[in-house]
Amino acid sequence: MMGLFSRRVSVELWRLWSVSGTRHFSIGTFPTGQVCSPRSFSSGRFLRTDASQPDQGDKIDLDLWKSVMRSQTAVDESIEDDKEQVKKGDSTDYPSGCVLAATRELVSMWRQAGKLVPDKITDQDVKTLAELTTKSSKKKYLKFLAIREGHKNKSKEKQEKKRAEREQRLAEFPETLENRPPVKNSFLMQYRDHWLDRLLGWRGAQAMNFGQPLVFDMSYEAHMTPQELTNSVSQMLEVESCNRRSLDPFHLHLCNLQPEGGYRQQLVKRYSEDAWDRLLITETPQRHVDVFPQEQLVYLTADSPNVLRTFDPSKVYVVGAMVDRSIQTGRSFATAKRLQMATARLPLDQFLRWEIGAKTLTLDQMIRILLTIKDTGSWEQALAFVPKRKHDGFYQEKKQSERGGTAARDRGDRYPQRDQRERQGSAREPWGAGRGGQDRGVSGKGVGMAWEREYKQPVTRIRSSQNSTTEDRRRTDKTRTPWYQQD
Amino acid sequence: MPSFPTSVFAAGNAKRTTEMLKRKTALASLEQEDAAGDQPRRRGFKTDGLVAPDRPLSPTEWKKQLEEAPCSPERFDVHMMTLLFKTGAELDIAKSLLTFVALETGTMSYQLLLQYLTLCVKGGHDAEALDCYQIMRGAFPALETGASSLFIKAFSRTESWREALPILRDMKKVIAPSTRNYSDIIGGALLHGAAAPAWQLYDEVLGEGLTPLPDTWRALFEGGARGGRAEEEGGMSPAEYGERLLGVLGYMRDNQVYPERNLADAIKTWFHSLPGHHWRGEWTTVSPKGVCKGCGSELESIQLTPEEYTHLEARVMADIIQGKDVFQKTTAEELESFKAFVKRKPVFDVVVDGLNVANIVKGRQSEMLLAVVCELERQGLTTLVLGRKHMLRPSASWDRRNMGLIQKKAHCFFTENTSEDDPFLLYATLHSGNHCRFLSRDLMRDHKACLPDALTRRLFFKWQRGHQLVIHGTVAQGRRVGFQMISPYDTIVQSTGVSWHVPYDDSVDRSSYEVPQSWLCLTNKP
Repeated sequence: MMGLFSRRVSVELWRLWSVSGTRHFSIGTFPTGQVCSPRSFSSGRFLRTDASQPDQGDKIDLDLWKSVMRSQTAVDESIEDDKEQVKKGDSTDYPSGCVLAATRELVSMWRQAGKLVPDKITDQDVKTLAELTTKSSKKKYLKFLAIREGHKNKSKEKQEKKRAEREQRLAEFPETLENRPPVKNSFLMQYRDHWLDRLLGWRGAQAMNFGQPLVFDMSYEAHMTPQELTNSVSQMLEVESCNRRSLDPFHLHLCNLQPEGGYRQQLVKRYSEDAWDRLLITETPQRHVDVFPQEQLVYLTADSPNVLRTFDPSKVYVVGAMVDRSIQTGRSFATAKRLQMATARLPLDQFLRWEIGAKTLTLDQMIRILLTIKDTGSWEQALAFVPKRKHDGFYQEKKQSERGGTAARDRGDRYPQRDQRERQGSAREPWGAGRGGQDRGVSGKGVGMAWEREYKQPVTRIRSSQNSTTEDRRRTDKTRTPWYQQD
Repeated sequence: MPSFPTSVFAAGNAKRTTEMLKRKTALASLEQEDAAGDQPRRRGFKTDGLVAPDRPLSPTEWKKQLEEAPCSPERFDVHMMTLLFKTGAELDIAKSLLTFVALETGTMSYQLLLQYLTLCVKGGHDAEALDCYQIMRGAFPALETGASSLFIKAFSRTESWREALPILRDMKKVIAPSTRNYSDIIGGALLHGAAAPAWQLYDEVLGEGLTPLPDTWRALFEGGARGGRAEEEGGMSPAEYGERLLGVLGYMRDNQVYPERNLADAIKTWFHSLPGHHWRGEWTTVSPKGVCKGCGSELESIQLTPEEYTHLEARVMADIIQGKDVFQKTTAEELESFKAFVKRKPVFDVVVDGLNVANIVKGRQSEMLLAVVCELERQGLTTLVLGRKHMLRPSASWDRRNMGLIQKKAHCFFTENTSEDDPFLLYATLHSGNHCRFLSRDLMRDHKACLPDALTRRLFFKWQRGHQLVIHGTVAQGRRVGFQMISPYDTIVQSTGVSWHVPYDDSVDRSSYEVPQSWLCLTNKP
């Protein structure tokens, strides 16, 4: 590919080549201002110089690029001077001056160095970037911006292509009265989208009046990073839509939603003011203990020692709206303890052969599980919404084959190896050499297997009442099996 | 009580235990099988299909390479330069590539020059790097962080090390320069005898809150050992330089830094080089009683001073137990009841982590716990056993009779099943006083991490090493329970007026919660 030389650069080259001692080019092939073929140069040069002075020829050859670059710098500078005289009045100063300008320059240089960096970056993003302290956090933020820009560009390209195709099509077949496609003639009534919206709206209104309340506790804003907050807002959107479309929706309450907080701001931004006002849910800055009576509330948290066996329609379940990518154990349980609420956790261990993964579920998974258990009463159907990569299937399938001798033997001494926190059989063991180093051959799989053996009994008992507090538990008869041995 | 020399805090202990466990569980053989079979699977890499030439090529030959290359023509130059760098090719080949690109297109991209610069700096061609600097400065409006770091490295190795300083200043505008950058410049300054600027930069590193690299310290000590060759140029008298180096040793003491062997060598060499003194150093170890085998002097005690002790006690209560939310680890009610319990009971000699001790064996945990409590009672120690409420429920693990006996022989406190018992253990031990020790195999690292600043964490670690009893080995039926020895001395850089003792890492795999066992003993006896 022939490069385009500016006039001055080609003059420089010409001078250099002449200095290097080549005389074997014909002047005819070098018209002024035109591109000259290096091919003719080089062949001529090597024929002459290789034999006599190889080293000198090489040396000059190798450092040629420096001269080229330096001359180009000289050219650029002169052009720059000209340009600057032209646009004297054009100010490209940034408000905070030095730091933001320097950051912008850094971004452009990183782009030239081939790092993953967006092509265009707004002032707001530059400001956020300048506020990040470490190099790696800056790079991660730029990578995020670059990927987002890539998606946008791609969708724009697609749109352009579609538009071009449509124009082409219209050019060939202009839409006149004769060319319009015929109206479909069918005995079936045509379906309009807004009819469904209206139906769901009525359902939502009915849920607000008569439906079972479900509370999302939004008080965890201080414990989440900005990215986690955005993620939780996205999950709340899905929760709302999933609930709206269900057969018998919950009456959603968003409690502890401070009016000035970032949570509410982001929610309103995502929905837009009008849509947010039209949503058929309740939001309140009050705490859930102030809105509902204490006896009705049950906090669903993975750290609870009590297992939820049946879904009680008279209770009000509370789900903590927190996304913890850096898992903060015990945070929601601590809030429940502070407010002296009843707690419960989903019967994941009782129904699923857990493989690997945290037992915290996302908000949309939770709402789907709760809706299904409310509608069908079947945990198998409800827990199908737990991500399949985390577990190896339900227990029922395996029980059929292994019913024989193992069940009886394993009742007695299957106590947990050590008194763990409420995470039974969790593959996520945070204890290092902490809880005993010697017999630590317990990997996630090992513990899983121990608990597997325990839960071979068919799990079809349905308790009539739900003892949700440890107080209640103490009051019941002493022969009951301890909390960590519940199946 | 019978005590044994190996300690859970000694360097290399964790590694040994892992090896032993691996052998026991025969995982090692499986791992070897896995490792042999697997070749790391690489995705299509950008330099695949390219072949680096072994001699400088002419532009025609490069043109041929370009046409035959599998990658796109625009990216050929950068990919080829990366390949040359990876294969460690000679500089001339790279230069010929640059010439070809210059002739083809008349300009070069920043990325290409950056790759070339990496090649130069790695190969040590500093003059070439300086040329590059001129060119890149002229051709581009600014330099980014990668190029800046490379230039700093290159300049520091040459006479014109001062040119690296403006580059550092420019870098500071956008990001915090790394310790590696500072280390390079300080090394360069010292190589050329400029001591005062080197120490100024060192102060800057500390001011930014960074930890200087061991290479920096080594350069400083070696610079000192080289002696008064150019102290007028350096702007620093040997006495002042010596003061500063002692300050470095003080920093290592305050931050519990253990030097590696080569840094310890440099320290020893510097001490030897001091004129007018008779410093002699030797590599030695310390006896279990805390006496240095090299010079026979006693080392510092591991016990905390009363102020440090009260400070630690306050922080443990405030940060570990209560933290930001007391309900994370316990409840407010439980905490109050425990405080009242501790107040009304007599002062304890040993506090036992019931669950940790009992779970040394599988099944029949209560027997294990009873054995330990009996042993402690036999030695006449007032014991407190901490556990959880489920231990009181009769079962195969927790036999009612054993638990009854334990409650007779020792004071007991059982927390809720949903609370953590370790913070209570720490509080009870600290509250009982300096003589009280706690018995657990748990290294308490998760609780140490709750403490806010490094000083408190070091105090905690020091207190832990002086007060944690660990059961030695396994406990067989009918055998007496043995405990690991608590070392009476503190493993830290320390000095009396006439001697310095520096613990260093001697090529042993040391975990972060372990302390080294080898020492450098420096004495100044005329």
